[in-house]
Amino acid sequence: MCLAMAAGAQNPEELPEKHLRKQLAAAVRNIQWSYAIFWSISARQQGVLAWSDGYYNGDIKTRKTTQPTEFKADQMGLQRSEQLRELYESLSAGDSNQQSKRPFASLSPEDLTDTEWYYLVCMSFTFSPGQGLPGKAFASNQDIWLSNAQFADSKIFSRSLLAKSASIQTVVCIPFMDGVLELGTTESVLEDSTLIQQVTTSFWELPIPVCSEQSVSSPPLAEKDEDILCPDLEREIVDTMILDEHNLVADGQAPLEGGPTAFPFGSHSYASDRENELIQDQVEELQANICEEPDIDSPHDSSNECCPNQQANDSFRIEGLNGASQVHNGQLMDDEFSNGLHGSLNSSDCISQSFANPQRVLSFPMGERIKNHVLDSLQDGDFTKLISLDLQGEKSHYTKTIAAILRNSNQLASIQCFPCGSHESSFVVWKRSMNVPKPHSTISQKLVKKILVDTAWMHGGQPLKTQEENGLRNKVWKVEGDDANASHVLSERRRREKLNEKFLVLRSLVPSLSKVDKASILGDTIEYLKELQRKVEELESRRELGEFEARGTRKHPDVSERTSDNYGNKEIANGRKPSVNKRKACDMDEAEVEHHWVLPKDGPADVKVTVIEKEVLIEMHCPWRECLLLEIVDATSNLHLDPFSVQSSTVDDNLAVTIKAKFRGSVVASPGMIKRVLQRVVGKC
Amino acid sequence: MEDSTQESPATATATATANTYTFDSPHPVYAMAFSSLPAPTPPLLALGSFIEGYANRVDVVTLDEDARSLRPEPSLSFDHPYPPTKLMFHPRPLPNSSTSLLASSAEFLRLWQVNSSSVVVRSILSNSKSSDFCAPLTSFDWNDAEPRRIVTSSIDTTCTVWDIERGVIETQLIAHDKEVYDIAWGEAGVFASVSADGSVRIFDLRDKEHSTIVYESPRPDTPLLRLAWNKADFRYMATILMDSNRVVIIDIRSPAAPVAELQRHRASVNAVAWAPQAARHICSAGDDGQALIWEVPAAGATVAPDGIDPALCYTAGAEINQLQWSAVHPDWIGIAFANKVQLLRV
Repeated sequence: MCLAMAAGAQNPEELPEKHLRKQLAAAVRNIQWSYAIFWSISARQQGVLAWSDGYYNGDIKTRKTTQPTEFKADQMGLQRSEQLRELYESLSAGDSNQQSKRPFASLSPEDLTDTEWYYLVCMSFTFSPGQGLPGKAFASNQDIWLSNAQFADSKIFSRSLLAKSASIQTVVCIPFMDGVLELGTTESVLEDSTLIQQVTTSFWELPIPVCSEQSVSSPPLAEKDEDILCPDLEREIVDTMILDEHNLVADGQAPLEGGPTAFPFGSHSYASDRENELIQDQVEELQANICEEPDIDSPHDSSNECCPNQQANDSFRIEGLNGASQVHNGQLMDDEFSNGLHGSLNSSDCISQSFANPQRVLSFPMGERIKNHVLDSLQDGDFTKLISLDLQGEKSHYTKTIAAILRNSNQLASIQCFPCGSHESSFVVWKRSMNVPKPHSTISQKLVKKILVDTAWMHGGQPLKTQEENGLRNKVWKVEGDDANASHVLSERRRREKLNEKFLVLRSLVPSLSKVDKASILGDTIEYLKELQRKVEELESRRELGEFEARGTRKHPDVSERTSDNYGNKEIANGRKPSVNKRKACDMDEAEVEHHWVLPKDGPADVKVTVIEKEVLIEMHCPWRECLLLEIVDATSNLHLDPFSVQSSTVDDNLAVTIKAKFRGSVVASPGMIKRVLQRVVGKC
Repeated sequence: MEDSTQESPATATATATANTYTFDSPHPVYAMAFSSLPAPTPPLLALGSFIEGYANRVDVVTLDEDARSLRPEPSLSFDHPYPPTKLMFHPRPLPNSSTSLLASSAEFLRLWQVNSSSVVVRSILSNSKSSDFCAPLTSFDWNDAEPRRIVTSSIDTTCTVWDIERGVIETQLIAHDKEVYDIAWGEAGVFASVSADGSVRIFDLRDKEHSTIVYESPRPDTPLLRLAWNKADFRYMATILMDSNRVVIIDIRSPAAPVAELQRHRASVNAVAWAPQAARHICSAGDDGQALIWEVPAAGATVAPDGIDPALCYTAGAEINQLQWSAVHPDWIGIAFANKVQLLRV
């Protein structure tokens, strides 16, 4: 732990700023942390803490040198810190013109490790008193020790996301010499007052002779509040944000004795100021935290993170950490804060007031309630994680308030993100308990589906000829390059064509069609079906009357006529004749109608198959060849058909066959099957 | 005119309550587009009617903050054959130009020239070789980087890239196995589409032979209805499924597994829009009558086990069918539900 810090001592008469850096170097190297920054009141901006100087003691990516001696390492470190500063200046100056500026710096951003990057970006930060970690330490004049800095809420530690990327885990801010000394490390270090002591000591006694491992002194405890609520509770340090050095651990594991004398500075110099700080200041803190973020993204930051997003992320993580306690307390806090939250923008004020006033708990009307509640939780044992070191009422309030804020911080962040200006948003903060009326419609996504899926209506109505009426025909560009698109299957078009075809079939089936449009076709079909139903009833009633002769007329004289009807064939469209035939068909027995008895011409052979009950009429026209007729008869026989009449003739090498056959047995081949078999017979040569 | 039973846009009333402006349209509204004219021009909206059949309208309304109303511009209303499935203004209007271009999709892609007090049709772009039938277009997108390009999606499974300056098809692709429902440009030559086949595919015009599937709906053949590509961060896109209350956020660098599924809607989601200027904010609207604004967690961020809660919420009281987030006035969101159109301040 102890290192020889010789560097500074050799030139005690250096420039003050150089000396400061060496002091920082001494301090940070003494405890082997990653960096030290000294924040002091800015000369440019009144009342704001700005980067004064720093020393980087962490990992170095390029030009990594293993130095044989500590002395050399120290020189290297000082040089590195100087280079980093130069780089920052060149980058911030060269906003718009990075390329040209870069050569002035001996380092380029690519050379930096994550930690160095963090250190560099820190240079862009400023804090007003009470704002951010350094600001808070400055305002309260108390040390702040932040473990798990990478998980800290961005409102407490505005650089938490940066810290995460740089793996900075522990950050300590010590009010110091009209400024704040900040130290950080990539290690997770538990709060250790002796360490702080050590740092401050080494800062002043530049050449450190010996580092006392266990300094007896501890940070000031002067204003410690006495109302410890749960003195006998177990303490848990894990995952805790140690918010204030002040918080006493109750179980006495580390009985800290007040030792302000160890501090060379009046540690209470800001005490009265703190008392005077108005809530307003604290309110500004939250807002300032948000405003401050863009600095992170400053010109050289390549990450796309938008500022409030970072906050939300952070809060998410903390939410995870504090999950249990939050659930426990959520309800209470929710109620307390709901007023503020509803006002969206206003809510930030409300929250920050309560959040940023740990010292003023008692002035809060709800302070008492919360305390009680905390006690309850503690007894339940759910709260240990969150409370850990903070057992004072104030502190638990603080913690709880943070928890409450975290619940809503992502919402706040979102609000901040949008350019709301002074206008009020139409939106309200979403809450789980929100009452949402049930959707009125039972069909979900009704309109979207009409637009996208059920588009049949689009062309069901008027044809597209209206385009022509509008005289825009000539303006319609057609697809160029037919061959490129010829292969495209236009399924919709096919579907519509099929639909139109079917309408034509329907039109051919139904007589007395007045008009040719689809609605009329459907209307006439309905009428026609009704008529048919009437006739069926009539026939049935006649049969009941005993007119059995009707069965005798089964073999209808117009069978052949019917078989020539090729429904679905193009010739249907030519005239009304088929439909006239159809009318006759209605005289037939229902049993016949049930059969699918017509197949269109197809293939090399013209085959028509008509099935009426167990009788089959086959008509074929095909090119003649030897033995064809025999094969046809064989084939029909194989189909369990018993030909009882075969007529054939050959004209110009064309064979015309008409076969009448009966089915043998109960097996009935479908007309399609018969047709396919016969076509196969004809097709094979 | 007083005895006319049919309402004309001019008689439609427009009301406003505290940064929410409502326009009562005489017909149901589906398509909606914000004009791309930046401030000081107030937000202007083109609204497409949804009437099943041929006769439809496109109305134009402007936000009049002094009068606290959405003021119809009757001179800019025009007849539209069939309901437009999407409307969009030219993404980069010429500065100081009094005219702008508006595109609409229905059975054809049409371009309309919007003058200061009239609208005339500029061109009709037809996909189909045969004049009688053209498969309806489900959507289109205008390329921000190269405004001469518009890509359309069709239920005939194709996507068509038009060069609207020359009025010719640049490319036509069979994009999906089934109907293509929505399409969006990424960068200049890259677009993505969603389909009834349940996939999100990315196409690069430099390599037309191949497409990349970046997401498939969990149950095969659950159609994906809408797609929104984050113009502020091209890594992210969002899609919605048929009959689902989920908004699926996809990171194109890690296909297949969505980054997040936003499922706080109490009914199916109908529309989704990314914030034009914040990289990870998205608004969704659905049948529960809510418009929700979400913050998508950054890559690697831990997400609460029970999912992501939205940040902000607006309740319309009826199924919200349409949602647009103005690119040039990012503090305004437009929604359409039933016969109403509302402008919401974010």
